[in-house]
Amino acid sequence: MASIAEREHALPGGWTLALRYGSLGMLLIAPTVLIFAAVIAYPLVSAIYLSLRSIFTPTLQGHWVGLANYADLLSSTTFWRALRNNFVWTAGTLFLQIVAGVAVALLLNQNIVFRSLARSLILFPYFVSTVVAVLVWRWLFNDLYGILNHFMLTLGLIDQPVNWLGQMPNAMISVILVGAWKYFPFVVIAVLARLQTIPPQLYEAATIDGAGPWGRFFDVTLPQLRSVLTVVILLRTVWDFKEFDLIYLLTGGGPINATQTIPLLVYQQAFGLNRMGMAAAYAVVMMAVMLVFMSLYLYRARRSEEAA
Amino acid sequence: MRRKVDTNVSRLSHERVSRRTILKGAGLAAAAAGVSLATPWRARADDVTLRWWSPQSSPGQLASYKKQIATFEAAHPGVKVVFEPTSDEGYSAQLAAAFSAKQQPDIITHLPSFAVQTYYAQGLVEPFDDVIQAIGPDKYYPGANNVYKTADGKYCGTGIGNTAADMLWVRKDLMQKAGVSEIPTTWDTLRAACQKMQTGGIYGVPYPYGLNSMTSLIIIGFIHRAGGNIFSPDLEVAINSDATAHALDFYKSMKELAPPGATNYSWGESLTAFVSGATATGIYAGRVLKNVHDQNPAIADFITATTYPTMSKDFPAWTFNDFPSIWIPKGSAHLKEAKLFAAFLLDPPGYIEQLLAAPGHVLPVLKTIAENPDYLADPIIQKYKAEVNLMAASAAGGYNLGYETAKHKPNSKANDIIASNVLAEMVGRVVINGENTKTVLGDTATKLADLMKG
Repeated sequence: MASIAEREHALPGGWTLALRYGSLGMLLIAPTVLIFAAVIAYPLVSAIYLSLRSIFTPTLQGHWVGLANYADLLSSTTFWRALRNNFVWTAGTLFLQIVAGVAVALLLNQNIVFRSLARSLILFPYFVSTVVAVLVWRWLFNDLYGILNHFMLTLGLIDQPVNWLGQMPNAMISVILVGAWKYFPFVVIAVLARLQTIPPQLYEAATIDGAGPWGRFFDVTLPQLRSVLTVVILLRTVWDFKEFDLIYLLTGGGPINATQTIPLLVYQQAFGLNRMGMAAAYAVVMMAVMLVFMSLYLYRARRSEEAA
Repeated sequence: MRRKVDTNVSRLSHERVSRRTILKGAGLAAAAAGVSLATPWRARADDVTLRWWSPQSSPGQLASYKKQIATFEAAHPGVKVVFEPTSDEGYSAQLAAAFSAKQQPDIITHLPSFAVQTYYAQGLVEPFDDVIQAIGPDKYYPGANNVYKTADGKYCGTGIGNTAADMLWVRKDLMQKAGVSEIPTTWDTLRAACQKMQTGGIYGVPYPYGLNSMTSLIIIGFIHRAGGNIFSPDLEVAINSDATAHALDFYKSMKELAPPGATNYSWGESLTAFVSGATATGIYAGRVLKNVHDQNPAIADFITATTYPTMSKDFPAWTFNDFPSIWIPKGSAHLKEAKLFAAFLLDPPGYIEQLLAAPGHVLPVLKTIAENPDYLADPIIQKYKAEVNLMAASAAGGYNLGYETAKHKPNSKANDIIASNVLAEMVGRVVINGENTKTVLGDTATKLADLMKG
């Protein structure tokens, strides 16, 4: 009886079985690698390459400047102010999205009247176009005709209209609130799906052990939601950090530059000032900042999961 | 048996012939289809689609453009024109993206003249001399195309109109009610009048304090009305001056007379504030007339316009005219047709209708049109004849950042400066943040110098 080694030698072309399997594997993953290279690696390398050049946007002509763009942006107050604004906006809106999302998901998991209708309607802000949503909110916030000021004046809460979008800290608070309203349904969808899979026996056992509603929430629900919340927070942080349209349309980065975040700076550099190289440098730094924070977050989440 | 074989061969042979016939037929059919398609394809290849961009796209203007396009298309079979609206705040970014993607439109109208100069200096604009010749240079007001003269002696575009962008609009009924007998001509009298008129939910002025182009353009006017400049005639930065400090001080003092949301105002909000009756005065171009007529006719009999007050009577009036333009971006695949259409846009019947879509807002650049009875017959033009004439005269003698005074060299960086919001930021820092004016002026001067170098 021939050994495996002998049979491998017997393969035509001198190819061993392992080599053939390896080649087949390479062939099978090649399309994925190619697509990955085209949609992720190429834009990334391209952005880094652009960031090392001074490029005039309309003609895309330019010259090599090395790390000068990075040196310029790191030494400018504009960048650090925008980064701070980015953190304030991301942390503020994310916190509200998570709190509101979990609360509404818990509510919609109960046997309430018109539950199906409520579950459908709650998704409305997430599905409505950002431009439309912002237009509506700008009208609500309007100092002269806005319904918000009108009600507050009628109720005697204020004696003159509040400047919601043109004054700090109102502008940042308004942007954070609109962001939370627009994106909390995503948290609702994810959390509600997980809530429906938590075994009811866990709640029964907790109740028998004397746990009240808060106890059941903190000792049963929240630990069960940990994995889904990790993913939701990760995704929403990335999406909120690079949010552009909502902030741009609502305040344009104003008053002065008080709500200007890095994505708005990227846009201004690329298309307002026609400095595509500098815009790419801002984008690369933004990506690096996100990578650092995401790595730390994932590391801590994994550690706490292991500890649990 | 043999017969059977023969029959089979015969059938096979018959089948072979049949297939060949089918293939031949199919081949012929394909060839015929190819021939029949070739002709229409050639015809389609000859078809031309011109893309036209403009930030002026109110419903009335869109309707007039539609008619002009239909007339042009009827006169030029095979040429199609597609209108694509842009915006005063967004055109710079949209054009940068369009140029970089080689998707620039074939013709652009209503952008300020300084934008065209900037794009020309960057090699992105077709010379326009032959179009001006086709329109007829003698039809223009004298010197109407001076703002389009480039450093190399060519023209980079022409005017589609004039606009007196920063006229003072006043409600005479509110003046009377407040006991203000004369229309203010200086900053002090304007402030005093606004203080008297600001009552019962009505504010004094709708000044913009937002981070946008309107704030930048409006403050340029105030600096000039205090005797200052942004740049010297040789284009050295001249903003750090007492005149600018005075302008900022006045602008800051008027903040309490503006609606609370003015810190976020741009063109639309400022116009609406006056038209709706929320402010006693306005700072805008002639579009006020049409908007008041359509949206708030109750105040139509009480509004009037004058040149904006200056710091004192020692300083002459200075009107911001953005000189709305017609120009052709470089790289248009249909240059000949684009030039034909550009010249056609100033043809009397369509041009008059286009101007009258917003009477008094875009004023004629051709004297032959300004004197045309069809243009003068418009009821709004007739009703506000004095205001329209004043706007026409002020706009004709007006300037902008690309052409600050008659002594100034054309500033090819003006568009970049407006797009950078450096001037609007200066206003915000002084008025909203309350920062030290001298410090802010120093910073602004440095930023302007950097932009001029870049």
